[in-house]
Amino acid sequence: MSLLARLARRVAQQPSAEALVHGAERLTYGDLWSAIGSASTQLRALRMPRGARIGLLLENSPCYAACYYAVHAVGGVVVPLNPAARATEIAGHLNHCAASALIVAAGHPELDALRIAAPDVQVLDAEALCSGGARVAFTEPVPEAPACIIYTSGTTGRPKGVTLSHRNLDINTRSILAYLPLSPADCLVNVLPFHYAYGNSVLHTHLIAGARLVLDRSMVYPRGVLQAMEAERASGFSGVPSTFAVLLSRADPAAHDLRSLRYLTQAGGAMSTHLAQRVRQAFPAAKLFVMYGQTEASARLAYLPPERLDDKPGSVGIAIPGVELKIHDEHGREVARDVTGEIWARGENIMLGYWNDPDATRQVLEHGWLKTGDLAHRDRDGYIYIDGRRSEMIKCGAHRISPQEVEEVIAQLDGVDDVACTGIPDELLGQVVKAVIVLRAGGNLSLKAVQRHCRERLPPYKVPRAIAFAEVLPRTASGKVQRYLLRDNDHTKGERDVSTGTEYARG
Amino acid sequence: MSVEPRVRQFLLNNYLFTDDDAALGNDDSLLQKGIVDSTGMMELIAFLEEQFAIRIDDDEMVPDNLDSVNNIVAFLARKSTTRSARAGA
Repeated sequence: MSLLARLARRVAQQPSAEALVHGAERLTYGDLWSAIGSASTQLRALRMPRGARIGLLLENSPCYAACYYAVHAVGGVVVPLNPAARATEIAGHLNHCAASALIVAAGHPELDALRIAAPDVQVLDAEALCSGGARVAFTEPVPEAPACIIYTSGTTGRPKGVTLSHRNLDINTRSILAYLPLSPADCLVNVLPFHYAYGNSVLHTHLIAGARLVLDRSMVYPRGVLQAMEAERASGFSGVPSTFAVLLSRADPAAHDLRSLRYLTQAGGAMSTHLAQRVRQAFPAAKLFVMYGQTEASARLAYLPPERLDDKPGSVGIAIPGVELKIHDEHGREVARDVTGEIWARGENIMLGYWNDPDATRQVLEHGWLKTGDLAHRDRDGYIYIDGRRSEMIKCGAHRISPQEVEEVIAQLDGVDDVACTGIPDELLGQVVKAVIVLRAGGNLSLKAVQRHCRERLPPYKVPRAIAFAEVLPRTASGKVQRYLLRDNDHTKGERDVSTGTEYARG
Repeated sequence: MSVEPRVRQFLLNNYLFTDDDAALGNDDSLLQKGIVDSTGMMELIAFLEEQFAIRIDDDEMVPDNLDSVNNIVAFLARKSTTRSARAGA
């Protein structure tokens, strides 16, 4: 059954229960269904073919949810996009999947640039789509048909569009609900962006279960998030490690009545055992679910049962229902316990592939197994511990940043001969971007100039926080940059006069 | 330098990476315009506490106090009035 059919069933069961709260706006399941009806009726009138890709460029809002499901109702494929991204990146994704239309909020700052950069894409106003009501008519989609494309890296040269089928989304949603049972009595205050896999799964699991989602814009005002939890008597909260770090460092959970809180979920990178301990102390009534997953697996692959937090600290747990996990060495053989290898995953939640990119797909999918690129070992009880990552993707808060994308932007600057980026540890965000630049002879660049150039072309979290200048970049014999060597400063010996090694921005 | 240009300069230098004064309006919402994210806010708080020798309480971290240059300037003025009133008491 598709998510949309499950949602239809939920709407029939509890039309007057609240589904989404956003500021002063409170939508019941009936209201949400009627907004889906309005949006799908208007989309259908455009006579796009089945399987048409439709971009969704919206902040978290009831309209986001309505449009997402409306695209499914007309047989389309949703392409959620990052509203903080710049036009070139957004257009790169729209063009890559040959999108027919883009649903966007009026007044999006990149809209004019987007019309030029993606001229074939029909621009649709989100509010207009959602206002008014209509009956939802849909035919159940083919389970194997693509339902959603989530772009995992903004690499301008080669975007990777994780293509998830209706079955992928449905299976993963139900697997999550099997270990984290939710009911119409639940309410989650959500700060995770829906356009990423984690937020996407929070949206689906809660709506399918008939729970209430309270949308808070972000963690900029952490106390406001706690106030919302208290006022709405929230039972759940989900975050990446930095969400919890911000919440505990700039707000005081003890000052709020949070007795209703019964579950916390954490994914999106390893949380230190110290932070996990602080989270449990700050929210003593709530169970903490430490989880692990990938966009390529719809969202979730493993979870640590909360009752094992004390005897398995630092573990991401065991496979979720319906998923098999193996740890392989380089030759594709399973490793013994306590030996580090790469996690391979199999299950009906594993993506169809990367959109229109069979080569990249072949590199990660093999006989139904997903090669995750994550390095891990198992203990004697089969609990998994992540040891590192084969991929060079930088994990900054909830974001994944491709180093190539930042490198391509910096390379446009006059005076840059060569550049490579990597992630360096950051107490709050996990990692931030560091750029190492080789200047042309006579070239001159300041940290600020590089950051300004990046800020004009990239969202804030992709702007390098640290920059170093070097004579050469460390490379392998075959010429590939060894990004892991960029983290320390040894390679910056003999830097030019224009800089003094690594410059750090914003403290 | 008075309060407003110091705050403006910090925001321009650290979030917009520019000296162009026109890049930031005094009523621009730092959140809506995507100028400050959650870590940016922590840095802004640290800057204000250090530069203006104040302590910003968790319950003062609200948009009314911090979401634009004008809000910040007015907030700092209120803080300094409270402080002098306390000092005078």
